Amino acid sequence: MIRFLVKRIVLLVPVVFGIITATFLLMHATPGDPALTYLGNHPTPEAVASLHHQWGLDKPVTNQYFDFIGGLFTGDLGSSLFYNETILKLIALKLPPTLMLMVMGSLFGIIFALPLAIWTAVRKDKFIDHLISLMNAVILGMPIFFIGAMGILFFALKIPIFPVGGYGESNLQHLWSLVLPSITIGLGLVPLLVRSLRTSVIESLDSEYVAFARSKGLKNRAVWLKYALRNGSISGISILGIQVGYLAGGSLVIENVFAIPGMGSFLMSGILNRDFPVVQGATLTFAMLVVLVYLFTDVAYALLDPRARFK
Amino acid sequence: MKILSKKLLVATVAVSLVLPASFSFSQVASAATPVKGGNLTILRGDLESSLTPSIPPDNAGIWVVEEIFDTLLLPARDAKSLKPSLATSWSASKDGLTWTFKLRSGVKFSDGTPMTSKDVKFSLEENSDPAGNWGFINSSISKIGTPDPLTVTVTTKTPYSPLPAVMAIFANSIVPFNYGGKTKEAFGDNPIGTGPFKLATWTKGQLIKIVRNPYYWEAGKPYLDSVTFKLVPDANTRANQVQGGQAQVNEFPSYSSVKTLKSVKGVKVTAFDSSAVHYLIFNNTKAPLSDVHVRKALAYLVDKKAIIAAVTFGIGTAAGAYMSPTSWAHNVSIKGLPYNVAKAKAELALSTQPKGFTATINVTSGSADDNSKAQILQSEAAKIGITLKINQLDPSAWTEARNNKSYDIMFGYCTTDIIDPDEIIRFAGIIDGGGSSLWSYYDNKTSAKLANDAVLVDNQAKRKVIYDKIQLAFDADQPMVPLFYAPNLYSYSTKVQDFQPFVTGNYNLRNVWLTK
Repeated sequence: MIRFLVKRIVLLVPVVFGIITATFLLMHATPGDPALTYLGNHPTPEAVASLHHQWGLDKPVTNQYFDFIGGLFTGDLGSSLFYNETILKLIALKLPPTLMLMVMGSLFGIIFALPLAIWTAVRKDKFIDHLISLMNAVILGMPIFFIGAMGILFFALKIPIFPVGGYGESNLQHLWSLVLPSITIGLGLVPLLVRSLRTSVIESLDSEYVAFARSKGLKNRAVWLKYALRNGSISGISILGIQVGYLAGGSLVIENVFAIPGMGSFLMSGILNRDFPVVQGATLTFAMLVVLVYLFTDVAYALLDPRARFK
Repeated sequence: MKILSKKLLVATVAVSLVLPASFSFSQVASAATPVKGGNLTILRGDLESSLTPSIPPDNAGIWVVEEIFDTLLLPARDAKSLKPSLATSWSASKDGLTWTFKLRSGVKFSDGTPMTSKDVKFSLEENSDPAGNWGFINSSISKIGTPDPLTVTVTTKTPYSPLPAVMAIFANSIVPFNYGGKTKEAFGDNPIGTGPFKLATWTKGQLIKIVRNPYYWEAGKPYLDSVTFKLVPDANTRANQVQGGQAQVNEFPSYSSVKTLKSVKGVKVTAFDSSAVHYLIFNNTKAPLSDVHVRKALAYLVDKKAIIAAVTFGIGTAAGAYMSPTSWAHNVSIKGLPYNVAKAKAELALSTQPKGFTATINVTSGSADDNSKAQILQSEAAKIGITLKINQLDPSAWTEARNNKSYDIMFGYCTTDIIDPDEIIRFAGIIDGGGSSLWSYYDNKTSAKLANDAVLVDNQAKRKVIYDKIQLAFDADQPMVPLFYAPNLYSYSTKVQDFQPFVTGNYNLRNVWLTK
């Protein structure tokens, strides 16, 4: 298991490195100058030159790149050009809401999807199975911001249970503010999760080892927990892993709809202002996040299915 | 659109904007007795950059600076006159070169230290650095004197009649001498001012909370305990939060949402007078747009009424002169070129491109307003053989193209920061007025001389004659097409009382209070 982990982690290094290099090059190749954005309506050539010097943008791009990579090894991601604050401090501020959103969103996804998957697997090809797969198709076709907006309309404005948006001030308020957006994210995860779980649960229920278990006289509960669900969840976990990867990038939309001050809006403002250190820092964080989620997925997969460890 | 959202010009003639009758107008002062207490939450779409008065190029920062700091003078709400603030009186010497300001006594900064002429001198000098964002506004000043702790003299290079108006701009706010020992940048994170509020917390990119300044000089004010400015980039989310009662004010609701918002119980939408003028801007240095006939042909194709109907949903009025009607310098006789395809064709026939040409309109991606305007113009231009391509750029790339003269046509707007017309006359119409004629690069030497002459004159009627001429020359050259004069839209809770943003944009939150 340790060899497996080490191998996986080593493989992640070039992935993260590739992502940050591509981001760096893309940001510098795109037109747009942070000094002009910063100076607004009165950009004198002297002021632009002085800002370029202050921000190190007057150095050749290769030097800027090596400065950035050098900084990474010492844990220095630089400072934001606009916020007048170090990137590490800003990420420490913006990451928790996004992380919480992803974790809570995934949990809601599982809470919704698991019973539905089991129900449809047991009632395969019955009316309820068709009804749920129709609902899945409808949810799958709906943009996530629409689900969010409807959630706000009904559960914050018409029946004011949850706040309309924002992140609150105390920890409890943070948590409460994230419920509606997390449910939105969870709902977005449901269709694919239900489909994959349903198929694999049906497959396990039809398999020879389940038939064998039943013939041994195992109780229904034990058959479900030990065989059907454990084997069925393997595909669910990889689907969830991939979806959570997408979520990290897609958090921007949900953060925007619910006014959550997280990594998504942070990255977006960085891109619009050409705040290079912000874009690089935020991309690096997202890259690490996605890569770690994939790593956890692989580990979970390996724990559930020993065959994966030897692939 | 932070880039062009900077406040620029003002004026003194009240504007009567044609708005749906159901609009509440700017006279919304309440008759009830103000009560103390409460927190006002204001939602905004833009980030604040710095709270050092001479730095912020963005409205988001400027509007907070105006609550933490005071200026020597303050514009009246309608931008018709100036009122005392930290200075109680002011006068010019006979030669018009030296202005004397008498300071209010007993004023203290929010840390309890007294404010004196030494602080004023330091503040004005800090903002006079030509490389600074707002240094251009003080370019007429040659010397600042402090004869005693409560007197300041400002000497100008030549007689300069807009000087008192310049003393009312946020960038000339009074900061403690030497920033109280801090650097300019560090001070911006932890500002100390004499204004009604002081900074409590600033979570960058998220919220700024200001609380009542216990040392504030105006007795009994402010009424509010605190004000929280929160960043909520999505316009729908801002509207929802005001509706849900989580926030009280939405800075700039989208035009399309006004109709819906007006029907919401507990929410008010008000169109306040603003100096904003929206333009169609041509790159006057680039062929064929350098040809006046080509520009006029395009100007004849602009259907201002259609644009107002499609873009602002009927809010605002068709523009004539390039100066806002909120300014006393506005030339009311100028109506601009009417929408007339036949005349456009005739103008084009006189040009270097009688058969038409191809050009590009730069729009900022994601701006629904810019895109609608561009599409309307595109379909009109096709009628006379002009092919317009719409080029979507993100705001930063759009600004770069604008500043490098590497565009053909774009849209933009400007607003004033001072109540004197000098700022906008020069910023939007004179090549060296700080904005390269709003980046149209229009260069009219006669107008430039007239603008320089105008500030030497102390008589408003005489200055008006000069400004009228400059606006007429602009109208004849059509370097830009003034499209419409737009109001400042705000939606806010009906609990908010005496919320009346000035023509210059100041919120003046010292007067605002909340009903229980």
